[in-house]
Amino acid sequence: MSTMTINGRVEVLPDDPDALLIDVVRDQLKLTGTKLVCGAGVCGACTVLVDGAPVASCLMPARAAAGKSVTSVEGIGAAGLHPVQKAFMAHDALQCGFCTPGFIVEAAAFCDAWRASRGTAVPSREEIGAALSGHLCRCGAYDGIYRAVADACAGRFDGDNVVAPRIEARDKVTGAAKYTVDIHHDGQLEGVILRSREAHARIGALDLAPARALPGVAAVSLLGDDNIVRYVGQPIAAVAAKDRRSALAALAAIKVDYARLPAVIGLDAGRKADAPVVFDKASRKRAGNVSEGAGGPAPWKQNVRGPTTVFAHRASKARSLVDEARQANSRLLVEGTFRTGTQQHACLEPHAAVARFDGDRLTVHASSQWVFHLKEQIAKRFKLDHDKIRVIADHVGGGFGSKGGLGAESIAAIELAREAKAPVRVAYDRHEELSVAGYRPAAELKVALLPSEQGALKALSVTAHADTGAAISSTIAGLARLIYPAEAKDLSDFDVISNLPPGAPFRGPGGPPMAFALEQAVDEAALRLGVDPIALRKRWDPDPNRQRLYDWAAGLEVWRKRPSAQSGRYRRGVGVASGYWLYLWQPKVKVEVAVKGGRIVASTATQDIGTGTRSVIAEAVAREFDLEPADIEVRIGDSSLPEGPGSGGSRVTASVLPPTLLAVRKLKAAILEQATRKPAPGSNAPWRELIARAPDIAVTETRGEDSKNTAPGIRSPLREVGFIGIIFGWMMRRFSNIVIGAGVPSSVQVIEVEVDTWLGHVRVLSVHTGLAVGKVAAPVLAHSQACGAVIQGLGYALYEARELDPRSGDVLTGGMEDYRIPGIADTPAIDVHFDEAGFDHVLGNSVGIGEVATVPTSPAVANAIRDAIGVRLTEIPIRPDRILAALNGRAAA
Amino acid sequence: MSTTTTAPTTVPEFRAAGTDLSERRRSGVSCGPIIDLDAGPDMRRIDWITDGSVRIGALTSIAAIASDRRIAQAYPGITAAAQGLATPQIRQLATVGGNLAQRSRCWYYRNPQIACLKKGGSDCPARTGNHLYHVAFDLGPCVAPHPSTMAMALLAYDAGVTTNYRRGLSISDLLGDGSNGGVDNLLGPGERIERIELPAPLAGERAVYKRAISRTYAEWPLVEICVRAVMSGGSFQQVRICAGGIAPVPLRLTACEAALLGKPADAETIAQAATLATSGAKPLPMTGYKLDLLTGLVRDVVERVAA
Repeated sequence: MSTMTINGRVEVLPDDPDALLIDVVRDQLKLTGTKLVCGAGVCGACTVLVDGAPVASCLMPARAAAGKSVTSVEGIGAAGLHPVQKAFMAHDALQCGFCTPGFIVEAAAFCDAWRASRGTAVPSREEIGAALSGHLCRCGAYDGIYRAVADACAGRFDGDNVVAPRIEARDKVTGAAKYTVDIHHDGQLEGVILRSREAHARIGALDLAPARALPGVAAVSLLGDDNIVRYVGQPIAAVAAKDRRSALAALAAIKVDYARLPAVIGLDAGRKADAPVVFDKASRKRAGNVSEGAGGPAPWKQNVRGPTTVFAHRASKARSLVDEARQANSRLLVEGTFRTGTQQHACLEPHAAVARFDGDRLTVHASSQWVFHLKEQIAKRFKLDHDKIRVIADHVGGGFGSKGGLGAESIAAIELAREAKAPVRVAYDRHEELSVAGYRPAAELKVALLPSEQGALKALSVTAHADTGAAISSTIAGLARLIYPAEAKDLSDFDVISNLPPGAPFRGPGGPPMAFALEQAVDEAALRLGVDPIALRKRWDPDPNRQRLYDWAAGLEVWRKRPSAQSGRYRRGVGVASGYWLYLWQPKVKVEVAVKGGRIVASTATQDIGTGTRSVIAEAVAREFDLEPADIEVRIGDSSLPEGPGSGGSRVTASVLPPTLLAVRKLKAAILEQATRKPAPGSNAPWRELIARAPDIAVTETRGEDSKNTAPGIRSPLREVGFIGIIFGWMMRRFSNIVIGAGVPSSVQVIEVEVDTWLGHVRVLSVHTGLAVGKVAAPVLAHSQACGAVIQGLGYALYEARELDPRSGDVLTGGMEDYRIPGIADTPAIDVHFDEAGFDHVLGNSVGIGEVATVPTSPAVANAIRDAIGVRLTEIPIRPDRILAALNGRAAA
Repeated sequence: MSTTTTAPTTVPEFRAAGTDLSERRRSGVSCGPIIDLDAGPDMRRIDWITDGSVRIGALTSIAAIASDRRIAQAYPGITAAAQGLATPQIRQLATVGGNLAQRSRCWYYRNPQIACLKKGGSDCPARTGNHLYHVAFDLGPCVAPHPSTMAMALLAYDAGVTTNYRRGLSISDLLGDGSNGGVDNLLGPGERIERIELPAPLAGERAVYKRAISRTYAEWPLVEICVRAVMSGGSFQQVRICAGGIAPVPLRLTACEAALLGKPADAETIAQAATLATSGAKPLPMTGYKLDLLTGLVRDVVERVAA
């Protein structure tokens, strides 16, 4: 019997040769701060110290730890926070927090070694980047991590005081924060999902009996009633057993009889007239949805659904203007075909649910972006009373749009818990997360942009085909309506359906691919017209929010002093791009603000997926009462609280702040009315005294309409679209519970790159991101989110793409080593500029940031590369092979 | 392409630190018995011999090699290769023997649901499928590049390998020539690497290692190169160039070496020689870009080593 010492305690190691150190740490010792993400040593979330050195515990055999001393995140700073932990808290070097324990362990070891040999010298960005190169953060908290590690090494966090702008930061840096995957009930079983091996097949027979015959195994079918699977990875059945290995063994015992059907994979094959049809007319409602709202009607022929043209404006006029210009060989007509890659959400916490029945009451812990709606969906599907269901998500390890609904993980966990009469956890493995958990569809965009001789924008034509897999409702081209008004716009969207997993909403659905194409076309027009690209945007784009951002961008030194054309190996260039997202808010959202036991408690059934919702509410309430955010208790992540918004569509801040502020006003009045004693004269904390003495009082307010009084030029973007826009707005409100408000959240980004023309490598030197999202509700967190959005956008522009087997559609990039998200050393200096005007008609003056901040990044990078090397890259990700092909005038693979 | 799962292998696999094997166990690609190698001190020793050569125990960690000052002085290309591979948390565990004997990183091989030559299948699904990161020198039925960075660097240093059965194996003896697509090395049943021997360095030699990747760190190389050279009067007196990431085995770029030997280290000579790096290349439909990268990277590292 061998043992290890972990966090100072001696623990017995299992004899099983396949047991890994992480299994012992998480499952046997319940030290759940250590996270399992990639299972391949790529991401670093599982990092622990073994005899003082950071190692990947997901790869280290448990028996190799015999006789060694192991420290998990729970052991770092157990006797008082480590300087690195305090620095991470103070610099907000985290968002969802799922990668944070791994970063903390590694950074603490680095900091201790640095201090021992270098004293309080400050490590360079390069040194920090190299030391942390084995860690990945999907939220993109790297900017704060650089600052935190540098300051901790420099001795600036040796003291006891630490101020954390993110109120749950301490739980996240110590590993105490519990995510869905960390939930463990007594008697809990582990569930796994049997998935289709075929791209398209009719399941003739599904025999669960051999699995059910195994001791302690429950099994359920997940097949639809048509018994057809339409992509490799579609759920067929699920089993639960005492542990994952037993569950996988039971899964292998299930007999599935596939009758193979002809399959079609991808955008090009799916469009062919003779391609096998994925959804016949009777089964079309089985298709998934890649947008944030309910889709409207559209023509649907074989595998091509579209065109959707509701946002077109005098489309035939636009077509004839473009045709005329083409026939006349107009030098002004900019035409191009742009292609974007399939971007995976790659949440570090996988899709996961833990279901537990207590009599007829169901509790589901879920890694969810919308606990309230998930409760409603569960009630509907399982025919349960709403008040018998509770959905809980204390902490969510990233979502980015992929965790907005009732997924197979929740369905399987609930079905299995009911069948097994025991709590069941289902957590996707990394291959599932990177293949069947949703993605931003790849797209092909054909753009024609025609300026007039006088330099105005005359006509724009955008036709987008989106590679949506077993899903529909992509809107990419249509989004080109709400920016750059023109005489005529021909905008058509098509979904191309094929035997691939369904796409899902992803951070500004349709926005980044639209911007990648349109913003490059505008850039090209500026070159042809001989006009400064920012000046041209200022001329063509009247939106008042962006007008101010253009002035800011034009004044940047990096823009004014951009280098002229170069010919050496390394070439620098600067690019600009513009982006917007809709200002959305959710009606019926309620927030309760109360005095409970002498403290202020704010409650609503929303959740924090790393975006900082807890802190936004805490800061707003604290400001009103002249308190510190840490004085406010924020209760979220529980569907039994008053109805809260989904964390999608950048809608949370604008949905919760107005009712919060209304409730605070009423609560203040109630406190004063019931106060038996006035605060001491001259008290500098009158509310603190009043609250401490107040009886329990609760006020609940509902999100009301915005003020009709808007600043000049600020109005609902749907009004620009006329009658169809009003219909569209009504439909969004009626069917998707979303209101499109007045004013357009906007971003303008200026990015500088250096291209290595020998190795096709792009280094991003600096990013300047200007954002007009109203008054910034929680400034430090808003900065974090702005940086994270840029970093995710850089991944989209330069590194990220799902790769498939072209025959089966099998996802080949199912691991983090093959699906490449940005690392810390890929992160440039990021300058964030907030323009805080534009949303005075919203109570609190704040709208969301998450989506708009990532829209312009990929075109700004592409425009910078064009500026550097004189060749335009029309396909992302802009990998070395594509740069080299562009430089050599060849077609890339 | 065959999509049936091959019968799981029941051949025992040796486990050093497990940084490769654990991932294959988790996915189910490996499910036979495991034999843990005894990590006794002998297997982790770095022994310097009086003739200036060195013997490195097979279970010496990559991190230990990467931080060894004497190795850095004598074999800077080995040090740089060790510092450049994987991630710090893997280098801490992974061993040099394990690095040489690791299995392919091909995304078809790593998928337990897909049959391939290395899992007993009859054909290579990457060849006719998606081989974006595969070989540009098509030397055998399997088109996955050999994953071992250390093997590539050790080839540049004419390293010898001793196993429990054989001694004095060259890297080519160990890894073969790529014609057997079913294997990643030619170790026999029950055979395991015990140590690596590096001949004494040449007087005044220097070396550069670099990998071309899309990000900054922690990526399998698209192309990687280790170059050794002895410079004299501004000319290449000795030069050795080896490349990884482009073929089923690490390759020596002899045509480039010949074009540089005895020549002055000016930019033009180097650029000309670099174009010879692709001699004998047979790219696949999706890997033509690796030839541009190879040429660019040879130019880069040779300029650096001569500087």
